[in-house]
Formats: sequence, structure tokens, C-alpha cells
Amino acid sequence: MYKYLLCWRYLRTRYIALASIISVTLGVATMIVVNSVMAGFSEQMRDRLHGVLSDITIDSHRSEGFRNPDEVMALVRESVGDRVEAMAAAIETPGMATIHFNGENYTRPVQIMGIEPEERAKTGDFAQYLVDEKERRMPPSFHVGRDLKMKAPAARFLDPNEKDPFQDVINNDVNFQVPDFGAITGWSVASVHRPDVNKDIFIAPRGAKIILSFVTAAREPKPASDSFAVVAFSKTGMSEYDSTHVYVPLKRLQQLRGMGDGEGRGAVNQIQLKVRKGEDLSKMALTLGEALTRKWPLVFEVRTWEQKQGPLLAAVAVEQSILNILLFFIIAVAGFGILAIFSMIVVEKTRDIGVLKALGASTSGVRGIFLGYGLSLGIVGSGVGMLGGLLFVWNINAIEKWLSKVTGRKVFDDAIYYFPEIPTKVEWFTVAWIVGGALTIAVLASIWPAHRASKLHPVRALRFE
Amino acid sequence: MSVHLSAIGLEKSYRKGKIQVPVLRGVDLEVEHGELVAIVGASGSGKSTLLHVLGLLDGPDAGSVQLSGERIDNLSEHRRDVLRNRTFGFIFQFYHLLPELSALENVMAPLMIRHGVRAYLAQRKMIRKEATALLERVGLGHRLTHRPAELSGGEMQRAAIARALAGSPEFLLADEPTGNLDAATGQSVLELLRDLNRERGLTMMLVTHDAHIAAQTDRTVRLAEGRIEEWATVLA
Repeated sequence: MYKYLLCWRYLRTRYIALASIISVTLGVATMIVVNSVMAGFSEQMRDRLHGVLSDITIDSHRSEGFRNPDEVMALVRESVGDRVEAMAAAIETPGMATIHFNGENYTRPVQIMGIEPEERAKTGDFAQYLVDEKERRMPPSFHVGRDLKMKAPAARFLDPNEKDPFQDVINNDVNFQVPDFGAITGWSVASVHRPDVNKDIFIAPRGAKIILSFVTAAREPKPASDSFAVVAFSKTGMSEYDSTHVYVPLKRLQQLRGMGDGEGRGAVNQIQLKVRKGEDLSKMALTLGEALTRKWPLVFEVRTWEQKQGPLLAAVAVEQSILNILLFFIIAVAGFGILAIFSMIVVEKTRDIGVLKALGASTSGVRGIFLGYGLSLGIVGSGVGMLGGLLFVWNINAIEKWLSKVTGRKVFDDAIYYFPEIPTKVEWFTVAWIVGGALTIAVLASIWPAHRASKLHPVRALRFE
Repeated sequence: MSVHLSAIGLEKSYRKGKIQVPVLRGVDLEVEHGELVAIVGASGSGKSTLLHVLGLLDGPDAGSVQLSGERIDNLSEHRRDVLRNRTFGFIFQFYHLLPELSALENVMAPLMIRHGVRAYLAQRKMIRKEATALLERVGLGHRLTHRPAELSGGEMQRAAIARALAGSPEFLLADEPTGNLDAATGQSVLELLRDLNRERGLTMMLVTHDAHIAAQTDRTVRLAEGRIEEWATVLA
């Protein structure tokens, strides 16, 4: 009983020991904040990656793709049945986008995706990311409406009564300026971020012409290009996608690249699969890969979205674990602080230890006082750290706003990260690990001083001056 | 009267650097039940060491200590801890109260050491009552919640005596209990000890170098150069 009473009294009267655990507190708080923010970021990122990529993708790396998407889809249905909810064929090919702006041509490397928007929307979150310049939601469609046509410079010469004999010529001009085929471009393909005014300036607003250049799918590839009218923007928040992806109608791209047979049966080089919830994706990808390889060897590669983005996801995981290791060193350093202060306290308490032994306290009892003291310090330190860390995480956006106001500059620039707020996710398992680790370190650091205290000879302890 | 505690041929030496310094060189001593014995002697004569060896705070190099005829100096560490807690009560020159605890908690300390958490909680009221009664007995009923730092020297020694009495020990060992007090306070502390000796039939052994104090005990034992020099029996 005396152990607990003395622990409690030491805890309340030795402020220097409380000072030694401030580093435990800070370490625990920092680890919780960092882990929560990183978990929030990576969850958001995974959400977006997953949304853009669909569950499983079947790719063919031949530039002419494959001419039998229906047969491939049939085989998929045959081997995994109704576990697949939706499938969409697509063409993915590298190319260039040229935008005419302010009398200059701007050319950017892009990834051109030929898709059927309605189908594509069923296999992932494609439709959810479609917006106009003001970030209002747009439907998944390539339709170039009358409103866009009217944005052409020539459109103001159109006579509403169609009496003008030059009407056809003007219409030709309008169609040249705003092409009939629509394209959905990545947000950053069509815009330039101006940090000085913190705004995205659109060089290709809706209705603007974008010229896409690519190579044909023939044995001897030839350059080809065509113009499209921008109808919407895809803003996923993943800069890798938003700065490269351009979506165009699948049939038009097949035609331009010479991949269609003119009878509606065109070649594609990719099929996206949406899988029923709860399925084991990598297992299913393996099954599909085997089935496809058996029928068409060396044509297809089947990957889950995680496998496709493996290096990126792995990089985030590595970053997080390195940060954790570094931060845990802080707590380890705090352990040495506890060790030093405890050794001093044991020296200071030498006579009291002698008295306790004279009163009949056992060796293990005396050891228990100091181990218990170390544990209580750990509990206080990591408890306060946990509370502080969680409060920080839960109010991180308010803190960010306040910091931005005080320092006069944006701490968290949503234009860089695309997140309107700092995403956080408290994983209780991680929190438990951090707190448990800190407690262990506090107890480990008190073992040696506690052992020394318990081994003190009572007479020598009583005579200690 | 029967022999309560006896020392047989006790020898003890300390190592100071490379030299062995003999402190006790064959001490034979018998203390009877209910006796109040004073041990006197010059500084360094081994008074305190004798007390420590008898109270099992230290072990002898040779010889033995017997409690009611049974040897106790060679018991296991645990049994010796229990004996210190239940059979012996210690009083020190510098009181040695635990500064973090109140007077009452200091007195309760031996009982808290004796009992585990559950046993303590079950008997908490009784233990508290006993400790309060002891503090009242030594005249500190109004100082229960005071910390040692808030007590005077005499009060601290009274609290230490109350602590030594907690848990009803049979044998009190006092190492210069008046050595740090002025004459009047020292006298009152001694009177308290004598009263307790009579009231409770406690066997007591006190180390002192004050002849005036020694004269008020049942018997005085003089220690010189680590040996018992003479036995002076004073009228009981």
C-alpha cells in the first residue's frame, strides 16, 4: 500500500520529474498528430486513386490494342461471374495537347483516354470529379452544346433569322473554332496556377479548342491529330492525373488512330472492372490473369488499382514509417531524461529508502515504488500527450486558420493539395501503440534506478548525508 | 523475567578504503522482557552498529542474535523484513520521518508496509484509528495532518516514536533519541519512552552518550572499543 501512496506523493511533489516527461508528452502528441494527418492524407489519396483507376484494370501494352473487347469481357464474366459489377473498354495512349491562348500555342504532354463516359462512370468515381470552371458538377458527357458553340468568336455574326447568305460560311467558322467532338481535360491541363494571386487561370475554358496529337496504331505509326472542344474538367485532386489526363470519345479516337473496322467493332487497349464490394481484389486479378493468359498468352496484364500505383503507395508507407522511427527517438531520448532524473531522485531519497527498510519494507517493495513512479510518470506524460495530440488533430483546421492569420501567410495552401481542409484520420490502434510504447520506455528507464534503490544497504542509506 | 533479546559474541567490521575497521569485537549482551537498557559509549565505540545488528538492519560477521531463544540473524531476507516490521520499532536521532507524508501517514507507514492494498483498504478505519490514538498518546493529536517540515524537533521525535509503536512491536530500538533535542525536550521525550516502557511492557534499548539520560534507565551498558566494558545496574 505504501508504494502507491509514495508514488502518488512523489508524483505530486517532484516537479523536476514532471519536467523530464514533457518530452514524452511532446513526443506522443507529435506522433499522434503526424500519424493522423498522414493517415488522413493517404486515405484521401487512396480514395482518389481508387476512384480514378477502378478496382481492376486489364491492359494490353501493344499499341494497336486488341480487337475483341467483347470476347475478353465474356471471358471475364465466365471466370469470375457476377462478382464483376461493371466493365468499360477504353484506349489509353500518350500524346500532346496544344492550346491556343493569347496568340501563343501551349503544348503539354498528356495521357489521352478514349472512353465512353456513361460506361466509364459505372466503373469508378470518374463522374464525381467532373466540374466546370466554377467547380460546379458536370454530367459525364462529351456533348458540345449550343451554348458552347455560341462561345466561338465567329458566333456573334450568326443571324438568328438565318437570312444571311453567308450563314454557312460563318457556321463553318464556328465549327472550326468550337469543334464538334468534345473533350474532358484534367483541371491542370486546362489551367495555370498563379501563386501570386492564388488562382487558377484557365487557358482552355469550356468551349475552347484543344488540339490533341498522337500516333496511329498502325505497324508503322504515323503522327495524327485532331481538334476537340473542351466541355468539362476532371478535378480529382491527384496532380498526377489532373495535369495529364484528357478524355475524348472512344469511337472518335479509334477512328483517328485507325483502330476501328468501321462497323462499330473497334480495338481498345484497356478494360476497367468494377468489382462487387468486399471481394479480394488481388486474388481476383490473379484468377483473371490466368484465365486470359491461357486463352491469349502474352497479351494482357491484369492489375488492381493498388498494384498499378504500387510505388506511390509504398512511398507514402515508407515515409510514414521513417517519420515514426524518427519521432520515436524523441521518446527514447525522453527515456534517458527519466533515467537521469530518477537516478538523482534515488540519491535524494536514499535516507528515506533506509527508513522504509528499517520499517520492514522489502527489496521488491522499494523497487516497486520507483517502478510505479516511472509508470505513473509515463501515464501522465503519454496521457497528456495523447489528449494534446488528439485535441490538436480534432482542431487542426481551426489552428491552421489561426496560424495563417497570425503569420499572414497560408500555412496549408489548398491550391497545392486540392484539399479544402487538412484531412485527418485518428487510428486508435496506432494511438494505442504510441501510448504503449511511451509507457514501456518510461518503465524501462526507471528499471535501473529502481533496482539501485532496492539494493541500497539500509544502514548505509540511513547514514547517508 | 526471561531473556528477550541476546547477542552472543557479535563481531562486525567495516571496510574503509583498504583497511578493515573492527567495530564490534565480541559483544555479549542479554536484555530481558520489559527492560529499559541504555547503551553508552564514546563516538565510534560501536553503539549504533550494535543497535543495527540487533535490529536486523545489518548482519554480524560472527556471532549471533537471538530473539526469545531463537536465532534470528541468519533468517531469510523476507523473514528479517517481517521481523523488522512486526517485532522491532526503530527511533532515530534525526527522526527520519518521510517528508512527503503527514504525521498521521508516517505513523501509518509500518502498517501500510505490513498490509497489501486489499488488506489495508479493508482495515483502513482501524489502522487510522490506531495511528490517531498513538499520536494522541504522544501529545500530537492536534498535528495529524501536518507535514514533518511543519513540526518542531520535539514534535518530530514524538511522531517518530508513535511510528515506532505502530503495529504493536515488542522491542523498541532508539538511536540517540534525544541527541538532537534541547535538554528539556529531550527529558520529556525520555519520560514518554519510560512511560511507554511501563504501560505496555515494551522492551527498550536506547543508545545515548548523555549520562543523565542513561541514569534514568533500568540498566546501563558501556561499550568501549567494540566490547562491553562494564555493567552498571541502576535502581529500577
